[in-house]
Amino acid sequence: MVDYLVFTAGLLASSMIAITIAIAYSLVLPGIERKIQARIQQRIGPPILTPGFWSVIKFGYKAKVEPMAQMPRFYGSLVYFGVGIVMLLLLFSTPYWWAVLGWGSILGIAGMLKLEEVIYVLMGSQSQSVLSTSMPVPDLVKGSKRPRVKREFVEQHSAERALKMMAIGSLPIYLAMLVPFIAANSPLISMVVVHQNPAYFSSPWFGLPLPSNPVVLSVAGFIAAIVYLMGYVMLLNEKPFNILKAKVDVIEGGVLEYASKLRGYYYIMRNLLLFAMSSIFVTLFIGIPFDPLMPLAFLMNMLLSLILPICLAVLVAFSPTLTFRQIYPVTLGLAALGVLAMILSVSL
Amino acid sequence: MAEKVSETSNTKVVEKELSFGPVHPALLEPYRIRLFVNDEYVEDCEITINMAYRGIEKLFEGLPVERALIIAEKVCGICSNVHAFNSVRVIEGGLKIEVPERANYIRVLTHEFQRITSHLLLLAHAFEVLSHETFSMRSFLLRETFMDLMAYLGGNRVMASVPVIGGIRPRADLTEPLKKTILDRVDEFEKKYLNYVDRILADPMIMSRLSGVGLMTKEEAMEWYATGPTGRASGWDFDLRRDQKEYKPFEYNIIVLDGCDNKARVVARALEIIESMKIIRQAVKNLPAGPIINNEWCPAKMDYTTAYIETYRGELMHSYGLDERGLIRNYKIRTPTITNLAAMEQVCIGDHVTDAILTIASCDPCLTCCTRAEVVQAGQSRLMTELEIVDKYGWRR
Repeated sequence: MVDYLVFTAGLLASSMIAITIAIAYSLVLPGIERKIQARIQQRIGPPILTPGFWSVIKFGYKAKVEPMAQMPRFYGSLVYFGVGIVMLLLLFSTPYWWAVLGWGSILGIAGMLKLEEVIYVLMGSQSQSVLSTSMPVPDLVKGSKRPRVKREFVEQHSAERALKMMAIGSLPIYLAMLVPFIAANSPLISMVVVHQNPAYFSSPWFGLPLPSNPVVLSVAGFIAAIVYLMGYVMLLNEKPFNILKAKVDVIEGGVLEYASKLRGYYYIMRNLLLFAMSSIFVTLFIGIPFDPLMPLAFLMNMLLSLILPICLAVLVAFSPTLTFRQIYPVTLGLAALGVLAMILSVSL
Repeated sequence: MAEKVSETSNTKVVEKELSFGPVHPALLEPYRIRLFVNDEYVEDCEITINMAYRGIEKLFEGLPVERALIIAEKVCGICSNVHAFNSVRVIEGGLKIEVPERANYIRVLTHEFQRITSHLLLLAHAFEVLSHETFSMRSFLLRETFMDLMAYLGGNRVMASVPVIGGIRPRADLTEPLKKTILDRVDEFEKKYLNYVDRILADPMIMSRLSGVGLMTKEEAMEWYATGPTGRASGWDFDLRRDQKEYKPFEYNIIVLDGCDNKARVVARALEIIESMKIIRQAVKNLPAGPIINNEWCPAKMDYTTAYIETYRGELMHSYGLDERGLIRNYKIRTPTITNLAAMEQVCIGDHVTDAILTIASCDPCLTCCTRAEVVQAGQSRLMTELEIVDKYGWRR
């Protein structure tokens, strides 16, 4: 019983520390991202803290605006669900959670990612911004070509795109994510870490156990890491795979109607996902987990977690938005690479 | 009943309608696009303009012709010079006013400066629609060279006010230091620009988005009267500069491509910039000596006269007459956007929704020229509301 209570207290403490640090750190990442893009574009760019941290603070002080949606309260609550899901996603990759009901495994991570993708479909199907409805053009009076065609909101069109991306766009990241698990012959994150970093569990709390056999340095791991990066971009709906929030047509997609505090929470959700997926990459491919009770390990994890956002920023700066005409073949190509990495990883 | 007829007369099956605009991040101007789509593919398209009422011709009515010129330049912020240029060409043609050769050279020079800024703006807009911010911003950065040169020449980056009736403004005469600056800046620009174009053409993602999308054949371009680079990118060899007397002394190529797609429309403009640089160099190096203005004219009755010019987007028409007191009557402007945009309404059918917006943007629509009314009062300008126009001019306009 005492052991159970101690474990629960440790779990809560580690979770709170992990979430606090992760949110604070993740709010710096968009600033770094924007700064890199700006320098590539020969601009000064915003101050580092502005796009993430200060924006969220600012949105917190904005007057509450009721979103235009079929069910505004449900639509508003989706962003809270989103934040919760991303928090769990991050927590499942931290060592204390590895012992809880098998959530610290490929299943826990993949499940949370799928839920996160579903959130975008729900957001899109709910949002009904003014941009698609209140046009000051009397189409029927002017003799429209097709007066009775069902009119769809741009956000609903975005929801359909989110469904397509769920079906095919998320394939590469799951395939890439499987590679370290195949290499470790186990679905558990703990085994993946031990496979790469045997000294991890025997290290003292102040130690920094460095991996002796990181997956990313193998051929299979390197291919998988590239596929993971592209899948990461797809999951974050960033260019070139930002079709479900392409500014040219569906604008912001399902999140268009989030304003004031809800927009602030949406920023937290997006930025936390940015960090969580980077942190999971470091855990799975390098073998250094985000361990809130081992300061040097989590600092190292946070430092290495900059790799993916930096790559993302460079990719975003040099990419246009791709349509499904390009996304389908690119995804299939990446999926093929992911399968190749999986086959190669069997021998690791 | 009318709805039923309309409905049954359409044989294409469409799932739904997606509306964009008049306020939308991808549409820089107030117009509205209704796409009738199946899944992601456009089955039909309807574009509505006149979101902001065009009443600028009414402002000309009864004005002394020299004052009208000031308004003509303000029809558009991107192609301001060509409106001023063509406006004076009308009266010069109608009253047979001879323009000195030196003034013609400087007019052409300004015209080509602004062609480059306009084409670079289209490239920037096209890349913005493609969501390629870096190329978009590079284009704006490159454009600065010619915005500066416009300012050096006329004293203003946007409204350089170079042409006046019978010649050019004295302020816009070329001095030797300015000639050197122009040539140096053009050389510097050319290096950076060619590098920029090479990078665009070598980018597989950009080419994949542009190639084979928004197909318009030569016959369609001619049928819908898609002029300018939009039509020339479909193989229609039509450029008014060929017959324009101001352009006779210059050697350059008319860019005609047979790609017929969005890539061809973008590349046509990119290549026209290179031709414009050739004209600019010739205008500066071969600038004849002599006067820059012919003041030997007086406002008099002029029959309704029309002038056509090859502007950056296509064929531009200005026409008006003068009454016995030399006041303007029946000013009419027809910009190329009106036909080009109508062509795009047909061309985007069959495209992916995201590509359709790009196709529409690829004709370089300028609704500012096309549909907007502006009042200029005491050095300040503002938009004129429909109510004001009705109050001032009545319903029958």
